[in-house]
Amino acid sequence: MIEFTSTPIMLTLILGAVGVLIPVINVARKEKGSSVYGVIALGALLAAIGFVVYQILTKHVTPSAIFSSNVLVDDTFGSFFAIAMLIVGIMTTVGSFNYMRGRANPAVYYSLILLSSIGMILIAYSTDLVMLFIAWELMSIPTYVLAGYLKKDPSSNEAAIKYFLFGALSSGIIIYGISIAYGLTGSTNIEQVIVGFSKLGPDMMPLAILAVGMFIAGFGFKIGLVPFHMWLPDAYEGSPPTIAALLAAGTKKAGFAAVLRVIIMGAIALNLHWAFALAVIAIVTMTVGNLAAIKQRNLTRMLAYSSIGQAGYILIGLSVAPISPIGIQASLFHILNHSVMKAAAFIAVAGIVTTLGVTHIEKIKGLGKRMPITALGLTISLLALAGVPPLNGFWSKLMLFGSAIDAGHTLSWAPYLAVAGVLNSALSLAYYGWIIRKMYFEEGESNKRLKEPKSVIAVMIFSIIFIVGIGVYPDPVIEFAKSAVPIMSGLPSIH
Amino acid sequence: MVDSVFLALSVLTIGSAIVALEIRSLIYGSIALMLTLSGVAGFFLLLDAPFVAMFQLSVYVGSIAVLILFTVMLVRRELIFNKVEDKRRRYAGIVLMVVLMLGIGTIIIGSGLKTMDTNSSAVDYKKIGEDFLTYYSPALIVMALILASSIIGAMTLARREDVIDGQRAD
Repeated sequence: MIEFTSTPIMLTLILGAVGVLIPVINVARKEKGSSVYGVIALGALLAAIGFVVYQILTKHVTPSAIFSSNVLVDDTFGSFFAIAMLIVGIMTTVGSFNYMRGRANPAVYYSLILLSSIGMILIAYSTDLVMLFIAWELMSIPTYVLAGYLKKDPSSNEAAIKYFLFGALSSGIIIYGISIAYGLTGSTNIEQVIVGFSKLGPDMMPLAILAVGMFIAGFGFKIGLVPFHMWLPDAYEGSPPTIAALLAAGTKKAGFAAVLRVIIMGAIALNLHWAFALAVIAIVTMTVGNLAAIKQRNLTRMLAYSSIGQAGYILIGLSVAPISPIGIQASLFHILNHSVMKAAAFIAVAGIVTTLGVTHIEKIKGLGKRMPITALGLTISLLALAGVPPLNGFWSKLMLFGSAIDAGHTLSWAPYLAVAGVLNSALSLAYYGWIIRKMYFEEGESNKRLKEPKSVIAVMIFSIIFIVGIGVYPDPVIEFAKSAVPIMSGLPSIH
Repeated sequence: MVDSVFLALSVLTIGSAIVALEIRSLIYGSIALMLTLSGVAGFFLLLDAPFVAMFQLSVYVGSIAVLILFTVMLVRRELIFNKVEDKRRRYAGIVLMVVLMLGIGTIIIGSGLKTMDTNSSAVDYKKIGEDFLTYYSPALIVMALILASSIIGAMTLARREDVIDGQRAD
């Protein structure tokens, strides 16, 4: 049994208790006002992130383990994702303060963000398929509600129903994969499953591959891999922009945690040749995402397609993981960076929506003069998404493409991944640059400076510091990502 | 004997699942759903898992399906549904389903599953309970949180702010 004071259990208790308590406070409290719930949620998230950092600094966290005999493991890999997810949770919560003012049911809104964050964090700590699936559901169910939060807005309803149907489908596929894995090995513990898979005879191997294929499809829906991405732009566009931030930066990254825990470890252990399949998905995903983004005229839709493209970049590192030692490290680094960049971009859009009520790209002309801080935050996050030096996105992309070239010693096609990545980055700069041009170089309806939402300003300042700070001095975070890479030795394998 | 029972159950389960999806009347649809869920319980009985079968019957057929039936009967809103149907999408869906079923079916039938030993004893439900409280205990805690979040979310989505505001104005 896992210890009561271990990081995942304590995080569940802190966030879960507060998350359930907020709606109760709402019932007991007479006066209206949304900020108090946001502040309580923020307090819980800050306490949680403080606890994770304390556990890491006091060395209570074990080095990254691939397996454990429990359902949860308190390791650095999980803590890395916990920090990324909690940062996203904090950015979403703070960014929502102004957005939620005057809207219905603020208490439930913040409570669901907390509950969803628990799910995202627990996915990364899970070492058992059942635990992983339950954490996956805890992450998903609150976000289905949050996506449909604007009940009177038909596009929000559409977003919620699409997201819910595809989410339910992906859960069904995952549980089918789990049931095949359990049927073949008699266990749901990931270690037992992989060891069991490695002992299968050749006649049973197709079933094991079917199970892994189902995991790829099931997790791929949430991550937005092509061809499982069709729901994503509608869902991100229709949901409140703050929730789009949580979806793009949070749930998507938690999906990568699940991929790493299950598929990549399984592929390495089984010595399967998934690398080529994943590489093809990576290239198709980034190309489709970026090409579709160019055609968009709506900011949230454009960012949604851009997040599909970014999933492709992250997949580069994962697909060369069995060969290149820096593959997983680069992917983890980009996951952390992309969480902050994408959350910042969506929160900036939320600020624009709160102030101007528009998301169309023609309507944000002259934003640089009207909302200077939001525009600056958006610009920097977009440049970081494109991978312009000296911002943090540049370093993580450099590592990703470097890992692909590094893998070229063994796999002759691996350097083409880097070529595709560089070409796609150039392509993405076209539409990012277009947004920036609209904001700064075209005359808007007026040049009068508007009052920017304070909470959005706070998020923008944090993300500018984060993006530029890591861009200038990336070493500590790269080291942290390195320590979070699971140790590969001692894996069972069939050759 | 088992084969014929299996076939009958399959026809019942899949047939009523299709009826549940296709039929326009929500009441008949939910009754068909009850049949599907009972059919699944039958599969569990065939698989020597009577404990799971009883759960399937009491939870899914006994409470969830009945709850759906009650909701449908209490909220008669069938008139607001418009029939929007795209023939090509429908066929595309059927083709996709057939391709997937053939693919997965070929893999399963082609594998060595048939040679596997099937004489294992029925699952001991005491062991299930024990596992829930030891190995899976964190999952059980998280399950409670899932239920809490589902209830909170469902109540929020179902809540009508306009009615409450109207009552306050009175």
